[in-house]
Amino acid sequence: MRAALGRTVFLGCLWAAQPALAQTPGDYTIRASLNSDIRGTQPGGNRDANTDVVMMHVLEGLVAYREDTSVGPMLAESWSLSEDGRTYTFKLRQGVTFHNGATMTAADVVWSWRRYLNPATQWRCLPDLDGRGLSKVVSVEAVDAQTVAVTLDKPSAIFLSIIARADCGQTAILHPDSVGADGQWREPIGTGPYRIGEWKRGQSIELTRFDRYASRQGEMDGFTGGKVAYAARLRFVVIPDASAARAALLGNSVDVLTDVPMAEATDLRTRPGVTLLHTPTMGVTAFLLQTRDPVLRDPRIRQAFALSLDVQQIVEGTMEGMAQQNPSIVPIRSRWHDEAQSQRPARNVAAARRLLAEAGYRGQPIRMQVNRRYANTYDAAVAAQAMAEEAGLKIELEVLDWATQLDRYTRGDYQMQSFIYSARLDPSLSYEMIAGPKETQPRKVWDNPAAQALVQRSMQVTDDAERQAILAELFKLFSQDVPMVILYNQPDFLAGRDAIQGLRAWPSGHTRLWNVWVR
Amino acid sequence: MLRYALNRLILSVPTLILVSAAVFLLMRLVPGDPVVLMLGDQADPQQAADMRAAMGLDRSVFVQYGLWLLHAVNGDLGRSTTNDLPVLPLALSRFQVTATIVFAAVAIAAVVAIPLGTVAAWRQNTKADFAIVSGATLLLSIPSFWLGLLMLLFFGLKLGWVPVVGYVSFSEDAFKAALYIVLPVATLTLIEIGILTRMARAAAIDVLRLEYVAHARAKGLRESRVLRRHVLPNAFAPTLTLIGIVLGNLLGGVAVIETVFTLPGLGRLLVDGIYARDYPVVQGCMLFIATIYVVVNLLVDLAYPFFDPRVTAS
Amino acid sequence: MPRIRLRANALIGSILVGATLLLAAASIVWTPRNPLAVALRQRLKPPSAEFWLGTDEVGRDVFSRIMTGAGTSVMVAGLAVLAAVLLGSLLGLVAGFLRGWVDRVLMGINDALLAFPGILLALGLMAVIGASQWGIILALGLAYAPTVARVVRGAVLSIREREFVEASRSIGNSEGYTMWRHVMPNTASPLIVLATSMFGWAILAESALSFLGLGVPPPAPTWGNMLAAARPYMESAIWLSLAPGLCIALTLLGVNLLGDALRDRLDPRSAER
Repeated sequence: MRAALGRTVFLGCLWAAQPALAQTPGDYTIRASLNSDIRGTQPGGNRDANTDVVMMHVLEGLVAYREDTSVGPMLAESWSLSEDGRTYTFKLRQGVTFHNGATMTAADVVWSWRRYLNPATQWRCLPDLDGRGLSKVVSVEAVDAQTVAVTLDKPSAIFLSIIARADCGQTAILHPDSVGADGQWREPIGTGPYRIGEWKRGQSIELTRFDRYASRQGEMDGFTGGKVAYAARLRFVVIPDASAARAALLGNSVDVLTDVPMAEATDLRTRPGVTLLHTPTMGVTAFLLQTRDPVLRDPRIRQAFALSLDVQQIVEGTMEGMAQQNPSIVPIRSRWHDEAQSQRPARNVAAARRLLAEAGYRGQPIRMQVNRRYANTYDAAVAAQAMAEEAGLKIELEVLDWATQLDRYTRGDYQMQSFIYSARLDPSLSYEMIAGPKETQPRKVWDNPAAQALVQRSMQVTDDAERQAILAELFKLFSQDVPMVILYNQPDFLAGRDAIQGLRAWPSGHTRLWNVWVR
Repeated sequence: MLRYALNRLILSVPTLILVSAAVFLLMRLVPGDPVVLMLGDQADPQQAADMRAAMGLDRSVFVQYGLWLLHAVNGDLGRSTTNDLPVLPLALSRFQVTATIVFAAVAIAAVVAIPLGTVAAWRQNTKADFAIVSGATLLLSIPSFWLGLLMLLFFGLKLGWVPVVGYVSFSEDAFKAALYIVLPVATLTLIEIGILTRMARAAAIDVLRLEYVAHARAKGLRESRVLRRHVLPNAFAPTLTLIGIVLGNLLGGVAVIETVFTLPGLGRLLVDGIYARDYPVVQGCMLFIATIYVVVNLLVDLAYPFFDPRVTAS
Repeated sequence: MPRIRLRANALIGSILVGATLLLAAASIVWTPRNPLAVALRQRLKPPSAEFWLGTDEVGRDVFSRIMTGAGTSVMVAGLAVLAAVLLGSLLGLVAGFLRGWVDRVLMGINDALLAFPGILLALGLMAVIGASQWGIILALGLAYAPTVARVVRGAVLSIREREFVEASRSIGNSEGYTMWRHVMPNTASPLIVLATSMFGWAILAESALSFLGLGVPPPAPTWGNMLAAARPYMESAIWLSLAPGLCIALTLLGVNLLGDALRDRLDPRSAER
């Protein structure tokens, strides 16, 4: 990999370089940009990535993702799994206080969980836990004031990975007063280091420090670990336009930019007074190939497309060394990603031509749907189009707005797409995201019954070595079928003014402003 | 006159219904809906269907439109699917932003453009006229967002005179508010000066051709007096009509300017709503914009007699 | 004296518009480089002897793209105006000639169209037609048609009462023939003037739509989408936005000046709009 240039700091080495200065919380505001307003405050309700970023400062669940994307305890002190692999017993931490001053007990946990499991709540992760997905939660009971038992109908290797998801609101534990007497959602009374302050719709949302926050011990660790609210206030300012957001950072109108697009990131890395952080996330950038398409049904044509691409050059050219190529759906930062999953056949235009000739391809144009919202997926498509042309594969780009492309994706209505997947923090979930029957789930890209069976098994085995072996087999199958060409894991770009200390980028891609202070 | 106004308003109802029906249909034709965006890449078909049913999107388009119209008649434009805010107050608050900028820009532009245009007409086909018209033509030839970006780059970033993003309402802090809108207003003003100068010139040329101007000249009145007493007042009325049209167009939202300067205006709300497939917001905004259009045109027509001596005389 | 401005306008306007048309025509046979050829190792190079106007964010030659873009922009604007003129004239002729309830209904639809935002129209048509330049052409055509319809209707209403139209009717010519033979040719002058202005609007509108992400889909270059794509690089690579921005502004200036000259020539009594 090319050496990180200039002021760019790879993977937040900034933090490591800082000795543990005795920082004290101060009475100041840190201002961060968001490219759209948050959608709501209900955990796992009407939300998007920005909503998750903000709400993760306010809400906490029993378990949470760690820096290395494994799952660790958050409000739980510890947990144990029963012999039959069906009952999780969570021991709660002592002295955790809700934003309204009440102390958290097992009763609150049971109340929160039962509320999520009630279909009327419309919790977005319910399908994963009510039997439609893999397993079903049969009961949630308080064993004593500090202990809660959650029982499933069958063992699951991914249960904790699901409930820790940010888009599920981390299955946050709420005080019952969060909901009105009429059952309507009021406001999140959670346990996080910040609470919601003034929300000017469409403009900004302010979080204020929760003075009685009971922090875990130890270092910052993903969404868990020690959390200190140094800034008395966090103000998330809505700036929909990326160029304007960059200008705001340079003009000192905001302190931190979240979710910086590639074009702005390349510019910011050369600027004095600004630090750009980046790290590969668990999101995936890829070309999807419709295996039901009359042309692309032939695996030789799909293989030819893959062989015509110099992925390394696409990644270097469009990402300027700030991403690494990755042929596997398992993210490069996942602990399940091994060397074998980095191997991709080298570019071979002659072989691609041969395959195309064998398959009887006669220059039929193939339309690739792209969007400009994610500029790097568009740039990659432009580069790929030129490379495929050299092998005689004619690709036409069709630029759509994001909602249209997403709709086509959901229906499976495309020949090719340059697409971007949101983060999955578990390898089984990564495969589950793409593998499935197109008949009933047209959005699934990879329709191979053998693969589906393997994915199902990977979700149930609890032995690490066995799971790794299944993943290796899946990767082999995937590389033969070529239902998609994976390029790289979308980097998360995070920029801060130099006075802002303690910022860290991490694979989940959610910006965290606790443990961040102003020098 | 009241009867005339009422009559006009009633006559505009079919237009409004037509617009809203067309928007409704068109939005449904555009692929993607709020549910697709909410669920993103993990849209389980069953879950998506449940959500659509909960939002009433599973019914036929006609039933949906009928229900929307029924509620709209009662002043309820529904709630945004992106953030659950009621649409009418949302549109109104965004409209304030747009209106502030548009009124400021058009007012300044008119103050500059009407005298300029009149002078150009008065000195028609001289070097002064040529210079004014060329300048105006150049101004209206510049893409507004390009001009805005260049201004942002120069005054905001290079010189650092004004903040580059954000918006503060005048009720909060008038000075700060002025700082935030100075660039968008300046951009819009420059372009509108181009448009209005040409319009004012054309109107004044028409007046100059009229007999009473010749008459006034024949009486031996000084040229400057002719200009002040006869041309300017008479050219004002037709220009007012044109200003009305310009206002009607701009108040509907200056999406491009609002995007460049990240202002929470009506145009931006509409564009964001379209991208987010926020049906109630698009629906509501469009009705709102069409209504503004109708009302502004009506006001201009009603104001016309007050400014045009010829109309009052007859 | 009166001719001076007219001639200067006509001259400058012709030069500017001519230059654009020349660029557009030349691009069909020759461009310095392939305007679509991506060279990721040559990204964002400033203007030089090798790349006259520099390269863009994926290493394509900006000058070649400006040339090809002239062609696309001219074609999109030209066809959009043509569509508007055809559709608008038809509406205006029918409304103005038949009058009565037909007129009222058509003008009602016309008003509804006038109040319709171009962006929604563009997005809707893109959905129906598919993302292509035809969607933009049709959207702009539909957006401008009402204005044409108003002008034509106005002209028809005033012409139809004139003696030669009466005369045509009185010698037994059918209404359709009269309209075709006598009314329509007389709407030509205001139409030509309006069409010239609309050509300028269309170039501007295409760039604005591109800016909002709804213009002619890339990679085919238009000045509008080049300008839109240059946005993030305004500071670091100013040439990217200067070239298409200036091209749009100068072409529009030319179109407007030419329009003024035409108006003075064809329609001396009409107010400038």
